[in-house]
Amino acid sequence: MIRIENLRKTYRAADGREVEALTDIELEIGAGEVFGIIGRSGAGKSTLIRTLNLLERPSAGRVLIDGEDITHLDSEGLYALRRRVGMIFQHFNLLNAKTVADNIDWPLKATGHTNAAERAARVKELLALVGLAEQGHKYPSQLSGGQKQRVGIARALANRPQILLCDEATSALDPETTQSILRLLLDINRQLGLTIVLITHEMQVIRTICDRVAVIDGGRIVESGKVADVFLHPQHAVTRSMVAQSDALAAASFDPAHAYMKDKLRGTLVRLTYIGDVTYQPILSRIMAGAKVQVTILQGEVSSIKDVPFGQLLLELEGSEDDIREVFAALDRHQIHHEVLQ
Amino acid sequence: MDLSVIDWSDIWLATWETLVMTGVSLFFTILLGLPLGILLFVTAKRQLLEQGFVYTVLSFVVNVLRSVPFLILLIVMIPVTVILIGTSLGVEGAIPPLVVGTAPFFARLVENVLREVDRGVIEACQAMGIRTWRIIFGALLPEALPGMIAAITVTAITLMSYAAMSGVIGGGGLGDLAIRFGYQRFQTEVMVITVALLVVLVQIIQYSGDRLVLYFTRK
Repeated sequence: MIRIENLRKTYRAADGREVEALTDIELEIGAGEVFGIIGRSGAGKSTLIRTLNLLERPSAGRVLIDGEDITHLDSEGLYALRRRVGMIFQHFNLLNAKTVADNIDWPLKATGHTNAAERAARVKELLALVGLAEQGHKYPSQLSGGQKQRVGIARALANRPQILLCDEATSALDPETTQSILRLLLDINRQLGLTIVLITHEMQVIRTICDRVAVIDGGRIVESGKVADVFLHPQHAVTRSMVAQSDALAAASFDPAHAYMKDKLRGTLVRLTYIGDVTYQPILSRIMAGAKVQVTILQGEVSSIKDVPFGQLLLELEGSEDDIREVFAALDRHQIHHEVLQ
Repeated sequence: MDLSVIDWSDIWLATWETLVMTGVSLFFTILLGLPLGILLFVTAKRQLLEQGFVYTVLSFVVNVLRSVPFLILLIVMIPVTVILIGTSLGVEGAIPPLVVGTAPFFARLVENVLREVDRGVIEACQAMGIRTWRIIFGALLPEALPGMIAAITVTAITLMSYAAMSGVIGGGGLGDLAIRFGYQRFQTEVMVITVALLVVLVQIIQYSGDRLVLYFTRK
């Protein structure tokens, strides 16, 4: 659906120097996928998502949508493309002078839908979809942040786009509202088969709705893959530090050298990671019941990433080398990944 | 102060003339200044229709017109006014210099008001695939409406004080009255009354403008 090849973006800074905002970006995003791009502020994620509807023109490289290189579109082609690609924003960017209903109607009216009755029906449908059926007559200033973003979503969907771009869409919202907006996005993704590309600096957002994730740092993609793979086995230092800073998934970036209990450790320190159905089976208890090894759970989490359950435990195993090796073999048989940390 | 020396019919006629001069020249000021201001805004750097050359030329012309003191413009414009409407005197004669004097000022106000419109809102419209002219008339201007009304209020008050000034070259209205009677014939009473009337008129314009701004503000 979306392919980014060799993308590069350079700016001329105020002092005349060339600044490279994006370097050699390669990405492929499938139809119907929820794809997240995570990075710290200034990493280039906003620039990157804005190249997908050419709010930002790349300096080099190609952006293919359905096989068509959008960087070569003429202005008519660009108008048509942008109607197929919806976008929502961190600060909602609603028209203050228009009512909620008129905000949603505006992209329809302004792109040549002349039948007012049809438009009114579509607006009503969209208001219901985002759960604002009763709020059409209000002005944006009368709404809460979460409601404003719902209007933003309805407006972005008005022209029935195939792709929805979310530019830090939940960063200005409190955690509870963030969750409700993410649920709405996920519903839309499933109901309408919409491809969603989002950028964020919040791991929680990626964990909740993304299928795949790319980690961007210094204008480069440093790591990408399925969310569970990237977050449970972070390879790059930036990913590790992001994982470490989130309360959840702390075990994924556990560093024994800096742990508070390092002086108290006697046995072998192991990190277990398991994904999928095994999460809800009593495998660990079965393995340990037959083993001559003492287990202490030091840290851990059992949760899910999007719909995929996973567990990650930090264990201290005490016993003979042979016994421990036997435990490892049993873990392998049940597809529980283990990693000896110390 | 002896109010009995005052010819009230003169006063009311002058008041009416001042209102006509202000109203008619406000109309033409908006007619010329609004498109000019929009053009200044959209052709500026990093705006919807960035055109460096056009912006530089327009901006230069506006600055030149704004640097001429109004009293001098009144005199310089006399031949042009005569060509345009046949006379440089009276209510009609005052209107061309008033428009030329305030339209560039109003255009700058319009440009500033449009700059205050949230950039993100315009960007959102672009992201929806809406044509630029449609964004300007359907989103940019409606969003800027309260600011526009405030700018028109300021301009109307400026026009009123300029209109009074045009009395110096034989324009009509309260300014003319104040100069002929209050200044040249030492009738302090007339001077006081005209100033008081101007104060009242300015208050009314400002108050109405503020009310309208409030009415149209949706933030």
